[in-house]
Amino acid sequence: MSLSLIVFLPLLGAFVMLLLPNERKGLIRGLAVFFAAAALAVSLYAYTAHNGGTAEMQLVERHSWIPTFGIHYYLGVDGLSMPLILLTTVLSLISLIASFGIETRVKEYFFWFLMLETGMLGVFVALDLFLFYVFWELTLVPMYFLIGVWGGPKKEYAAVKFFLYTLSGSVFMLLGILALYFAGNPRTFDMLQLAQQSSTFIGPRFIWVFLALYVGFAVKIPAFPFHTWLPLAHVEAPTAVSVILAGVLLKMGTYGILRVSYAILPEATRWFMPILILIAFVNIVYGAYCAMNQRDIKRMVAYSSVNHMGYCLLGMAALTGSNASAGMTGAVLQMVNHGIITGSLFLLVGVLYDQAHTRNIDDFGGLGAKLPVFTAFMTIQAMASLGLPGLAGFISEFLCFLGAFGQKDYLLWVSLSVIGIVVTAAFFLKLIKDVFLGPFNRRWEGLRDMSARELLTTAPLVALTILIGVYPAFLIQMMDATLANLIRHVTGG
Amino acid sequence: MSFAFLLPEIILTAAALTLLLLESFRPVRRGLALGISALALLAGILSVAGVSSASGDPTFHGMISVGPEARFLMVLLMLGVLAVLALSLHFNGFQESDFSWGTFSGLLLLSTAGLLLLTCAADLLLVLIALETVSVTSFILVGFLRKDRRASEAAIKYFLVGAFSTGLLIYGISIVYGLAGTTNLQRLLRPDPAWPALPLAGALFFILVGFGFKLALVPFHMWAPDVYEGAPTPITAFLSIAPKAAGFGVMLHALPNHGALRLTPFLAVLSALTMSVGNLAALRQQNLKRLLAYSSIAQMGYVLMGFVAGGTTGFRSVLIYLAAYLFMNLGAFACVIAVGADAKTETLDGFKGLAGRSLPLALATTVFMLSLTGIPPFVGFIGKFSLFGAVLQSPGLVWLAVAAAVNSVVSFAYYFSLVRAMFFSPPDRSARMEMSPALAGCLGLAALGTVLAGVFPETLLQLVQRAFP
Repeated sequence: MSLSLIVFLPLLGAFVMLLLPNERKGLIRGLAVFFAAAALAVSLYAYTAHNGGTAEMQLVERHSWIPTFGIHYYLGVDGLSMPLILLTTVLSLISLIASFGIETRVKEYFFWFLMLETGMLGVFVALDLFLFYVFWELTLVPMYFLIGVWGGPKKEYAAVKFFLYTLSGSVFMLLGILALYFAGNPRTFDMLQLAQQSSTFIGPRFIWVFLALYVGFAVKIPAFPFHTWLPLAHVEAPTAVSVILAGVLLKMGTYGILRVSYAILPEATRWFMPILILIAFVNIVYGAYCAMNQRDIKRMVAYSSVNHMGYCLLGMAALTGSNASAGMTGAVLQMVNHGIITGSLFLLVGVLYDQAHTRNIDDFGGLGAKLPVFTAFMTIQAMASLGLPGLAGFISEFLCFLGAFGQKDYLLWVSLSVIGIVVTAAFFLKLIKDVFLGPFNRRWEGLRDMSARELLTTAPLVALTILIGVYPAFLIQMMDATLANLIRHVTGG
Repeated sequence: MSFAFLLPEIILTAAALTLLLLESFRPVRRGLALGISALALLAGILSVAGVSSASGDPTFHGMISVGPEARFLMVLLMLGVLAVLALSLHFNGFQESDFSWGTFSGLLLLSTAGLLLLTCAADLLLVLIALETVSVTSFILVGFLRKDRRASEAAIKYFLVGAFSTGLLIYGISIVYGLAGTTNLQRLLRPDPAWPALPLAGALFFILVGFGFKLALVPFHMWAPDVYEGAPTPITAFLSIAPKAAGFGVMLHALPNHGALRLTPFLAVLSALTMSVGNLAALRQQNLKRLLAYSSIAQMGYVLMGFVAGGTTGFRSVLIYLAAYLFMNLGAFACVIAVGADAKTETLDGFKGLAGRSLPLALATTVFMLSLTGIPPFVGFIGKFSLFGAVLQSPGLVWLAVAAAVNSVVSFAYYFSLVRAMFFSPPDRSARMEMSPALAGCLGLAALGTVLAGVFPETLLQLVQRAFP
């Protein structure tokens, strides 16, 4: 029951919200936070109930849903999904609190936001491909509205582009899912059963199935060349929505590859590894250079997401190498870390933008003395993002590279990817220099430091960044057994 | 020979004639006319359910066969017409004092009776007669608002195309009779290999083109947008649903063996063309009735896909999609009528800022549009899912599934032009939306059906399974 509660508490909240009158903004906000907090509480309970020592699916719920098609309502968690569920419930609660500044059409905003949370959580716990697809699509519509109604100047264009890209990907994913269903013997949408039959999914036909699924996942990650919706959507979306977009939605893509493609199509996965390394390289280096070239802080952080998801892909591509374990652990840890770090960076940019109404790096300068707390937070998170040891980002990026260097045949591309780290360091350091150091721009005399609510939203994320940087074991222990099992399953070793 | 099989047709015809007769003495009031019609339809639905033990064996000298799939479509049709009655109740164009409700509902019932007969016809001659019953009544219904020049134009167009396509159909049927010496479908289903190929191909060609016109498949669709735009909106809703369901009913009876006749590739191309042209043309429409006209063309392209796939799974998916289409398309028309009544326009502008004026209506419209696009968890997705599934089972048709997938993405653009207008544009008026209870009820039921059958589709799937064992 606990997983169903986690998934559907936010949806329940969304429908309760519809019954409230528009004018009761305080009540609406409070209820939204209440339901998200309840989901977080249950997810913490699930965390304590989850045993990281085994790769088994846990807290399983399985009921027949559409027997005619053999579809089940089938939920479960393992070491791969548990960290992402926690990430989702934490970031959702924080983003909802960060959304208190929304003053227009408050009821609709929180309605869509809570529905989005249900969709994301559902993706991470669904073990039936049909159910997985339903939740996958459930994230689409709320996000479309959240960007399109409450976004920046080019919000409608951004929303449509986001929707078109994702829908194009997901219709092919649907065809891939159906192809898997018909390939199964007996036919089933059950991911675990399909994974057990994976040794029979061999041949060129399944390469096509893999590619169809991959397109759906790659758009979300976003992996080059499907990434062009991301900078636009991130920049136009309101702060809290950018947090969710970067923090959770992108992870659905990498999660999907690990959960569906890796587990069910190992042969095609092995075939795809060299291509994945190349894509990771392009994401890392191209994303970093694009970020370097931005003058808008939010755009810079957005492109840094392309770069960071590249690390994640690189870690995943370590699968067939000699350091598979390090790479895969790094990849999953990177998903969590990127969610925390980039999420907080978007929140911090939002803090600045709310007051200054500009995000152009050139407009600022010398804010360090004026806003000490803000500067400290921003610096810590930028450092974490560029991979400073002692902070979360370092651990996962290091593991990703460690794993990737186990791919002896592709050392050139892995080595070249290191350029990305240097460039990332360069643009984040330059950002800190241009915004916080140097002569103070008198124009910002009236800026205040962070408010209590802003502290409440960012401080936990900063604390987590430091905690994971110092003691990543609590996360790694959670996923170790599952990932080892997955590696064994795919490589057959 | 049991009249029980014809009970629904008899009930509807009797009610229709009663209404027409009453009207010739003095005008029948709206409530009475619609009440009698609704009762007749309900009785019709019950009587279909009453003969549920009947098999699909031909009766009346092989003229009709009321199989379970025909009964499924008959119930679907009558439910659709019930909804059309609810849509008509407060439709603006019908509110003039001299509007003859008796004639209107009488003709609608007669047309429905024709459609019911069409779904259970087992002989090409009866197909033709039923088709003409539907056509003649539909011509009048389209042009029912005589003072509206567009409606008259639409009626003339509809009449010309209808007459032309009937001619083609008769021509095809006459060749068939010349070849086989019979018009009975049961016997025609086993074609004699001795029949000369050319005349057979000709006959199939004429019959298919004739049906292509009736079902508005591309490239025989040109008439549809004009007729849909000109007709009174409830009649447009009727035309976009009922004849299509019945048409596919006939196809299921007449051409289940399209593979043996080597028609499958031809039908597959027809399907791909229909969905692509329908969707691309819909992109440019500002008038919502034209938009929905092209949308319904595209939707029939999807349904045809299931027919092309054939076999039990394929034909089941046709029925599933038609049921889904009934709910979501009627819902969409209900929204257009509700907004049209308020904004006095049939263009996209009427939907501007609707979210601010009536969030429930805006959400309901969004549900229908999402469902038509094929996004879960709505019934349209279940329909598309089963269509895709049916097509993917035959390796030679994967390209058709890919074409349909791409088409779904294209269709998003125009279905969401409504959503954009409702949620992203500021309202041009601040007054709250007013909606008649009948319309609201119809809309609510359609929305409920779209959501419930999407989240819990098992009941629908079971019904279809029983309709096509």
